[in-house]
Amino acid sequence: MRIKNSFKKILCAGLAAVAAMSMTLDAFAAEPYKSYIYDTWNDSIPSQNAYRIDKTVTGYDMGLSRLSDPADPLFLSETASARLSNPKDMYFDPDEKEFWIADTDNNRILRLDDQLNIIGAYAELSDGSRFASPSGVYVKRSLYDDKPLYIYIADYENSRVVKAKVKSDTELEIVKEYTRPDTDLYTVETFNPSKVVADFAENVYAVCTSVNQGAVQFNRSGKFQGYYGANRVEVTAAVIAQKLWRKFASNEQISGMTRNVPVEYANFDIDDGGFIYTVTEAANTTTDAVKKLNPAGYNIWDNSAGNEYKFGDIASEYDPTQNQTYSTRLTDICVSDNGLINVLDFSTGRVFQYDRNARLLCIFGTKNSTNDQRGSFSNPNAVEAYNNNIYVIDGSKNDVTIYSETTFGALMHEAVELYDQGRYSEAKPIWQNVIARDGGYPMAYIGLGKAALNEGEYSKALDYFETAYDQDDYDRAFKYAREEFLRENFTLIIIVLAVIIVFLFVLSKMHKKGKYLLKGRLYGKKSRNRGGR
Amino acid sequence: MYEFTPVGWLKHCIFHPVEGFEDLRWKKQGSMKIALIIVFFLFVAMVADRQLTGFQFNNNYVKIFNVVPLIVQSVVYYFTWCVGNWSICTLLEGEGTFRKISIYSAYSLVPFIVCTLVKVIFSNFLVQEESIWITALTYLGFGWSIVLMIQAMRACHQYSFGKTLISMVLTLVAMLLILFLAILLLSLFQQVYVFIYQIYTEIAYRIRG
Repeated sequence: MRIKNSFKKILCAGLAAVAAMSMTLDAFAAEPYKSYIYDTWNDSIPSQNAYRIDKTVTGYDMGLSRLSDPADPLFLSETASARLSNPKDMYFDPDEKEFWIADTDNNRILRLDDQLNIIGAYAELSDGSRFASPSGVYVKRSLYDDKPLYIYIADYENSRVVKAKVKSDTELEIVKEYTRPDTDLYTVETFNPSKVVADFAENVYAVCTSVNQGAVQFNRSGKFQGYYGANRVEVTAAVIAQKLWRKFASNEQISGMTRNVPVEYANFDIDDGGFIYTVTEAANTTTDAVKKLNPAGYNIWDNSAGNEYKFGDIASEYDPTQNQTYSTRLTDICVSDNGLINVLDFSTGRVFQYDRNARLLCIFGTKNSTNDQRGSFSNPNAVEAYNNNIYVIDGSKNDVTIYSETTFGALMHEAVELYDQGRYSEAKPIWQNVIARDGGYPMAYIGLGKAALNEGEYSKALDYFETAYDQDDYDRAFKYAREEFLRENFTLIIIVLAVIIVFLFVLSKMHKKGKYLLKGRLYGKKSRNRGGR
Repeated sequence: MYEFTPVGWLKHCIFHPVEGFEDLRWKKQGSMKIALIIVFFLFVAMVADRQLTGFQFNNNYVKIFNVVPLIVQSVVYYFTWCVGNWSICTLLEGEGTFRKISIYSAYSLVPFIVCTLVKVIFSNFLVQEESIWITALTYLGFGWSIVLMIQAMRACHQYSFGKTLISMVLTLVAMLLILFLAILLLSLFQQVYVFIYQIYTEIAYRIRG
């Protein structure tokens, strides 16, 4: 009995141990957000994560403590802070593979290598003037002369845009200073540039606070060229009502009314082709939220031309845990060298990624959870892309979050790249792999449908387009399918038509002779009067 | 002179918009049975338009199919129209009875129903470039039915043209009122139901102790 009991005990303990072994805890850090995208009806549908959080990099990780070390070549001052302080802008220079950060509240510009290690720091110019809240930075190698590396800084508090030559890790040689244009065209009292870009001809575009006619444009020699690509006034009920009131109001009343002016840009970026992409922090996803401007300042992504470009979250979102409603406020845009467009939403902390043709690819990042968690933001200020990674800089957590591609993301990007080049058949196996990972990803079905259409398999293409609910492509495939159907069944159709025509002809002949197939009950004159009521 | 079967009368009314309904009234014709069948087909046409339209033309939210809004949009609207028109035109010295209003209204809906069904069939063969045919059919069905409806109401109540239009606008207002009251009634009854149910639960708890 005793032996039996102990045997049972040992057996139990053994089984428990085996069970415990087999149930090893899978420790993994899930992203603090759920990935989703929008379908045809603008409903959000769940999707796979295309990006995962790789790491966050603080000022200390970058090596900013070197700036206060007198022995270091990058020494700025004894009191130089080792953390970032409200960094407002980040720029990635694709030629040099270097990051530039406008460390706004520390009044300095930081230069980092592609691993985000500090390689340069600048707090003043060669003429001795120090930066005051620099909030925008842009770097481009000049095409002129001996091709110097030029840096453009939106020196916010100093009311100037500075163009300087990068001489060394700590020295900037001032080349040109762009201050408030002294013409009647420039009507705003202040000149507070917050963001700056320059094109290949070294025209400088600056976004200035409270200038709503567009970006202020200077040419290479520093002359004010005018405004570039103004936003339009969003047509709301209030705007229309005011327009009507103005018809009846007296001049005094009109002067007392608020004017309806367009919202100024929040930020912009320039791509290899010289197109400037702008974002506006307006809570409307269709009017000028994201614009692609050609060099003449004309918006290519214009919804009034009959397209349906939508950016950011379609509907504002209610967060019950914080009793707050978030609506989209797009704050930064970044065009990566592979043509993907990343748009950062300040209010929800989400990054929306689009392809060249403004088709939504994926959404990641958040703000809603406790923002101490990695990958969720407090004040996301700028987004950059490099080497399939996405970098987001936070102005309140004072760090840079690095997102790296998941397998799904890598496959999807590869397929989209092929798709955008029109190589649909090559993209086919990749799209199938994407579907294996996320069966509800609409772009994959469109891609497969286009491949099938190219290969002449129309009914298959129709199936795919129907799954993705892509009416326009379905229509195109349907046209071919119909043509094919008609060609194959032409004889049959003609025979059926001929039979019907002969039948009708015979029927009318019979009717004329007074013979009826249905005894004339349904139509024509009645044999006997049923009488009315 | 006119001796038709009931369906023949329907055809006569549709293809003779000016005199058809006058003839119908003069001959004291019109079948309630056919009218109800037409209303049923109105519902069928609406369902077909929503569900069977060709994919490339179907802009409806096809993820969910709910038949109740379609019933409301066809059958309920039709009966509210009849009731509303009857109430208004009784006050405006119209000569039509409720029966006549129902029959004449239903008869004038036929072009709309037929055009909708034809449109649904066409939409399965056409591509978006040829959508002009679909649009044309939509306008044809709508326009024809509206013309017929005006003529039907005029013949039914023996009004002048202007008075017909006024009575129809007033009927629309009356429909709004009726629907509003119906919804009000519905929500009130629901509250009464909830109240009674709560009392029942309360008592049930007490009894069970």
